[in-house]
Amino acid sequence: MAKNKIRDWLEVRIGLDELLKSQLTEYRVPKQINVFNALGSVALAGYLIQVISGIFLMIYYIPHSEHAFRSVQEIMTRVPYGWLFRQIHVVGSNLMITAVTLHMVTIFLMGNYKRPRELTWIGGGIMMVITFLFGLSGYLLPWTQLSYWATTVVTSLPTAFPFFGDFATRLLRGGDYVSGITLTRFFAVHVSVLPPLFMILMGVHIALIRRIGLSSTPFGKTDEEKRPLTEFRKKTHPEGHAYYPYLFQKQVLMVICYFLIMFSIITFAPTFFFPEEASVPADAFKTPENIRPEWYFLAPYQMLKLIPNKFLGISLQIILLFVFIFWPFLDVQKEKNIFKRPVLRGVFIFLMISWVILMWWGRR
Amino acid sequence: MKRRSFLKALFAVLGTASVSSFAYPLIRYLAPPGSSDMDKKVVLVKADIPVGGSKIILFNDKPVIVINRPGRGFIALSKVCTHLGCLVEYEKDKNRLICPCHAGTYDLEGNVLSGPPPRPLPKVTLKVEGEQLIIG
Repeated sequence: MAKNKIRDWLEVRIGLDELLKSQLTEYRVPKQINVFNALGSVALAGYLIQVISGIFLMIYYIPHSEHAFRSVQEIMTRVPYGWLFRQIHVVGSNLMITAVTLHMVTIFLMGNYKRPRELTWIGGGIMMVITFLFGLSGYLLPWTQLSYWATTVVTSLPTAFPFFGDFATRLLRGGDYVSGITLTRFFAVHVSVLPPLFMILMGVHIALIRRIGLSSTPFGKTDEEKRPLTEFRKKTHPEGHAYYPYLFQKQVLMVICYFLIMFSIITFAPTFFFPEEASVPADAFKTPENIRPEWYFLAPYQMLKLIPNKFLGISLQIILLFVFIFWPFLDVQKEKNIFKRPVLRGVFIFLMISWVILMWWGRR
Repeated sequence: MKRRSFLKALFAVLGTASVSSFAYPLIRYLAPPGSSDMDKKVVLVKADIPVGGSKIILFNDKPVIVINRPGRGFIALSKVCTHLGCLVEYEKDKNRLICPCHAGTYDLEGNVLSGPPPRPLPKVTLKVEGEQLIIG
């Protein structure tokens, strides 16, 4: 068998057997692990899909204000299967944000951000912010009315701050208003600044998970970790399952579901993420009716509209963002199980409901 | 057939199908896109090209030279040298075309006179209709 020959060759060079053993079978996961523990790998798969489809789009996309719109139109109409890769990229961006958000919510509910996993949570939080920045910077690139005016609104946010606010806005736009300079800037950020940052954080995130070992979910049993933890101890789960194939199967299943949702949208609702303004070329002298951000920014957007003082509104959101990222240090309760923490549960449900209400409200 | 080998075969078939359903669009996507104006005729005015003069046009995205040859009428030749693809120049006083890269020379019919070109320059169809030249 040729397969065995390759295996033997690699075995001599890199000690393949031992490597696979330590990374796949001796790496153990808790017994009561479920599909929610596989959401992180769905987010990772979502990111890789974005990278691959994005590289293919870059082959035909022209990052220049006079060509951007037309080149995107050509991808959609003239390039063979260009419509497919653009749809994968657009639908994939929305699905990736969904996956990342779900991953964050489930980890929060399981209390898995607690000591010793604070760094993993912070890395994930920063990655979530970068995911939103990906959405924000990519949004301008097709150079449509929608992208132009949404970017105008977003880049005007810093003006609420005294002293440096105006400068920050000019820096983001590369001028007094959104122009071709902004487009080039956003393109550079979208394709060459954010990806390496994201990759590094992802490497750290996954390395930390492997180094510390997966947390036992608190549902149905008390977590056996003796707190406070004053020394490093890797959780090895000798009573648990091998990562491969037990958790790996669940991850593959979830990734297949992700693809299923993606291609269902592309097939049965191809215009789902393309409102009318998304097919009109950008016009700097005409603001379209009812301009509003993407669905994942609707809640913060509505909150800004509700708070009369712009400075107050944005400061509040930045404070909330910091609370979110440094949450493991603010939550000092030892109890992981959210079912035994009525106050946290109440706050969580309140946040969820208010988010949904704000989102609906912001649609108008 | 054992269940295990049946399942293996099934997975191989399904896997191949899904991979190729991605691979085919990828290859099609990366292949060079066809030009939008293939074989579009180019119309010139005869009076614009005096005897001994020439005009360079784009036909099918390729440069073509239209020459009004003294005593022999109009001809349209590809400007792309058949040797390695440099663009030939028209030498009016010597009645020939010369390639600047490796000194291949052609006569005004496109035939090779000297140098490395393996084939004559391709002709492009040219029709004279009244005061107009129709190329293509």
